[in-house]
Parts: sequence; C-alpha cells; structure tokens
Amino acid sequence: MPLDQNDITLRLENVSKSFGGIKAVNGVSLTVRRGSITGLIGPNGSGKSTLFNIISGVERKFSGNVVFDGKRLNGLAPHKIFDLGLGRTFQTPRLFTGMTVLENAMVGAKNQRGESPLRAPFPKDWEPQEMEVAKKTQDQLKVLEIAQLYDKPPSEISGGQMKLLQLANVLAGDPKMLLLDEPTAGVAPRLAQDIFLSIEKQCKEKGTTFFIIEHRLQVLFKHVQKVYVMHEGRIISEGAPSEIVKHREVIDAYLGA
Amino acid sequence: MVDAISFIVAFASFYGIFVILAVSLNLEYGYAGQPNFGQVLFYGLGAFVGAIVAANLLPYFDHLPIGNICNAGAYTVRTSIGSSDAGISLGVWAIALIFAMIAGGIIGLVVSYPAIRVKEEWYLSMILLVAGEAFVIVVENTPQIGCGFEGVDGILNPFYWVSNLYASSPFAGTNLGIDLPGAIYAVVIMACAGICYFVAQKLANSPYGRLLKSIRDDKVAAESLGKDVAAVRRRIMVIGSIMAGLAGGLYVYYLGTATTDDFVPAVTFTIWVMMILGGYANNKGILAGAFVLTLLERGSVLLSVIIQPYFPTFNAAVIIYLEYSVEAVILLLLLLFRPKGLIPERRIQTKAYELFDFSKAAGQKADASNATIPDTTVAKEQGSAS
Repeated sequence: MPLDQNDITLRLENVSKSFGGIKAVNGVSLTVRRGSITGLIGPNGSGKSTLFNIISGVERKFSGNVVFDGKRLNGLAPHKIFDLGLGRTFQTPRLFTGMTVLENAMVGAKNQRGESPLRAPFPKDWEPQEMEVAKKTQDQLKVLEIAQLYDKPPSEISGGQMKLLQLANVLAGDPKMLLLDEPTAGVAPRLAQDIFLSIEKQCKEKGTTFFIIEHRLQVLFKHVQKVYVMHEGRIISEGAPSEIVKHREVIDAYLGA
Repeated sequence: MVDAISFIVAFASFYGIFVILAVSLNLEYGYAGQPNFGQVLFYGLGAFVGAIVAANLLPYFDHLPIGNICNAGAYTVRTSIGSSDAGISLGVWAIALIFAMIAGGIIGLVVSYPAIRVKEEWYLSMILLVAGEAFVIVVENTPQIGCGFEGVDGILNPFYWVSNLYASSPFAGTNLGIDLPGAIYAVVIMACAGICYFVAQKLANSPYGRLLKSIRDDKVAAESLGKDVAAVRRRIMVIGSIMAGLAGGLYVYYLGTATTDDFVPAVTFTIWVMMILGGYANNKGILAGAFVLTLLERGSVLLSVIIQPYFPTFNAAVIIYLEYSVEAVILLLLLLFRPKGLIPERRIQTKAYELFDFSKAAGQKADASNATIPDTTVAKEQGSAS
C-alpha cells in the first residue's frame, strides 16, 4: 500500500557520504512515518551515526536528498534544522558542563526574548517568558525524574541521568521529530526500560516522531513499529521487528561477516 | 613627590580602566569562550580614535583652522581651548568617546568576521594577536594617522578648565592639596566602569548569559539546540570591543597622549591575568582580580619613586618591570591552588530558580523526598484532560 505523502515526516533519497576512500554511507533511501518510533540498528561502523550527522546538518557535504516535512534540508546549518522542528541527541551526551541541570534544560527553548543582548539588560521584558520556560522545564524534568538535581552541574549526576538530561535539553525546543543516538548506552537495564517508556509517552501524548539508533535490541524491539538495518553503509533490511530477526543478512551482519 | 591623595586618584583612574577591559574580556572569554589575545588592539584603537577626533574637533568648534594635528601650533591651540572652554571640552570629550566605542565595535566585527565561522576559536585569537601588533606597527610607521612615534598629545583632561575656574574664584588662595580635574575625572572613569560592570552583570544573569555559556561549553551541542553560534560569537566580540574602545578613549584623556608604547601585547596579558585571578565568568571576581593587578601596577611605580633617593646610583624605574614577574608567580600559584580564580563561577541568577528553590523548600518541609511524583501525575491528568 503506497503511503500518503503527508504521512512521511522524514525521507532520505539515495544519500551517500565518503570519508577519503571509504563510503561511510552508501546510497541510503528511507522514510520515517509521522508519529512513529522507528529504529536504526547495525554493527559498529555501519554508518548510523554518520547518517544522523547528515540529517541534522552536522555533516553538510554529501550527495542525495534529505527531506523533512516536505522541505529539503541539504546544506542547512544545524540550528536552522532544529528551528524547523528536527532535534537530535548524541551518542556521548554533549552537555553544558559549566551550567546547572536547570540551565542546561532551558537553553533549548525557542524564541527566548532574553537571548537578545539588547533585551537581556531589561528583565521586565523577558521575565514572564522566563517563568513560562522554567515551569515547562520543571514539568519535563519531573517526567524524566531528574527535577531534584536542578542546581547540580552535569559532572555530579550519573551517566543515565546525563542521557535523560540530554533528552530534556532537546525536548525544550518542542521538536516534531527527534533523532536519538543510543539513548540507553551505558545505562542500567531498568533505567533503559524507563527511558523507552518516556519516549513512548512523549510519542503518544505529543505526537513526536522518533528515529532511534540503539544496540539494545530486546528493549528497542518492544517499542518500535519499524526497524532499518544498516551494514557497511547500506540499508540491508527493513520491516517490523518480528520480521527483521528472521532475515538472513541481519543475522550474518551481526554474527558473522 | 608622592602623596596619598594623588596615589588614590591615579589608582582609581587605572582601576576603572582595567575593570572595563577585564569585564569586556570576561564577557568574550569567560562567558562566551572566545579567547581574545588582541584586547590591546581595541583598547589602542579607542585611544587613537579618541585622540584624533579630539584633536580635530577642538579647533573646529572654536572656529579655528584644523591644519596638521601633529604641529606644535595645533598642540597649543587645543590645550588652550581645553583649559578654558568648558562646553567645548566636555562636548568634544563625549563625541570622542562615542567614536572610540564605534571604532572598537566596527573593527571588532571586521577583524573577527573571517575567522569566526571556523569551528576552532583559537584561529580567531591568533588573528587578533597579530592584528594588535599590526595596528601598533602601522600607526608607528604612518605619521598621517596618529603622528607616528610621537603620538597625539595635548589631549587635556576634559575637566581641566575646573582648575582655571578655581584659580579665578574667591577660594583661589587656599591650597586644596589635590589635582581637582584629575580627581573629578577619576570619579567619571569609575562611573563608566560601574556602568560596564552593571551591563555585564545584566547580560550575564539572563537567558543571554545562558546562551553565551552554552556556546562556550559545547558549540556543536548549542548549534544542534538551535543556536546560531557564529552570529552569537560575532555579537559578543562587538560588545566586548565597544567596551575596550571606551576604555581606550577614557585612558587617552587621562594620560593626555596616545602613543603606541602603551599598547603592547603585554597589556592584553595583564588583563588576562586579572580575569584568571578573579575568576572566569564571574564579574565580581573580575573586580577583585583587577584590584589586585592595579595595586601591583601602581604599587611598583610608587615603590620605584620611593626608593630612588636611597639608591642614587641605581635606576629604580626597573622595579616597574618586576610587575610581570610577579604576574607570572600569581598565575602559577593560581593554577596550583585555585584554578577557578578567587571567586569561582556561579549559577546564572534568573527568576527561574525561584520556582525550583521554592519546590525544594516545600519538599523538605513535607519531609517527602519523592514529593515530586504526585505532582507529575496531576500535571499529566491535566494534560490529557485538556
């Protein structure tokens, strides 16, 4: 059954990227449905993170097309892509180490009046909005159960809490779609489950679309509708988790080769 | 002759100027993570622009031909106007300061523009370091700009006319024991420093301060959270350079002369020591750091003057250069014992914390460590109901 165009949030058309002589991403085409949770799996070095860097604008030299909500993203800077509603997290959490948890989580809020140096000296102008952002951030941090850490620097929180904080940072911008690069790597198993439950909640309540790189397949497969499998820069398989596990190439890619 | 009052006046003047420079560097590096090794460029630029504007405008407003500002005749004309006409002195002074700030801002933008989009901020710092040196060489070798090695002199204290006013007043006979124009100007410099400090505090404790720090801590993350990193870096360079230009304009009116000797790279690094000593990203620390270094700078000058009579065969002026050795020791001790400076960085104080600090206090009162959980469910129910 052909998909309605409006159903597609993200579409990649024949995307390729080489580093020197190595094709890190080799002719990748894929689609992500609006409001879905889609997985991206594959062995280390298969090009998953490079693909995320291409989509989010960190890597701007590539061939092919990236289309988000009907708009071509090719060549756009990361901040413009974020403004369009496409956010991302990083494999190793990239947090603002000199700032508290609360400050970290408030940076991502869009259109803050007080971010203009001409308005900043006049608190009356931006304080009402600041309080709205603070309230929203507080709710978000409570959902992620890290609100009690609000005045701690990131160096004093656990690895799992860093992952959650990174999620809070990017959710502050109310993204329509999120690219998560290994949201549960280095996190205790129970917490990994919790992270996916918050992702699912976010998806259901706010309609956010998720595209997730993950190595913990048993956790991932419980929450995704569709999975793409990458190997040596190519998509070698796609489908529902139950179908994927039966594919010969997938088993080969993970166990042999 | 050294007396306590003139030491305090000189100290206050230098302290004010150093505070402006250090506050400006702290905005650029402490908050925004943009190392500026060419602070002296904007400082010197402000001084020369201020001096040149003043030297041209003073005769202009007195309906005299401007001619070559480097001539001895021009010097006489501007000192005589400066010592008699209050209105022209103050008006020209204000215009010169405004031009010094504009020049700082524009050059800050022009110099940083090519390098600012390069991810690694140290390229820009190298360009600024070189630009600072190039500025000195160009001014020294192009007499048409700022009278070459001689510099532009005869820029009288904008309150110089006060001493003439006093001399013709009924109190003229009594010796005040104080350089009246110098004291007034020191207060004005301190007021300017106060304004810069106040503005820096306001900028820092706002969403703008958060934006700057996020770019300092991780440019890639800030960019992926929708921040236009290149634009923010450009703007903070302009703001910092405007302040440094102001400091230059104030300085030339304090000293009376703009000469390239005063704008060597060592000045930049003295400002850096002030910031490192006081504490990055903390404006209060900057006040402390600038105080210690000004004391060192003025103290070494004072010491050389005091001991000279006791050692007639020894050139006591070399003691002034001990300042740099002491700065080095201060730096080493800081890195060993207090790497974050005298007053370490604090959280950004906006009203947002009130919400959390209040919740925390309420949570402790209820003595329920997980009091946040019921709150969440309430919020969720409200969310689904709406």
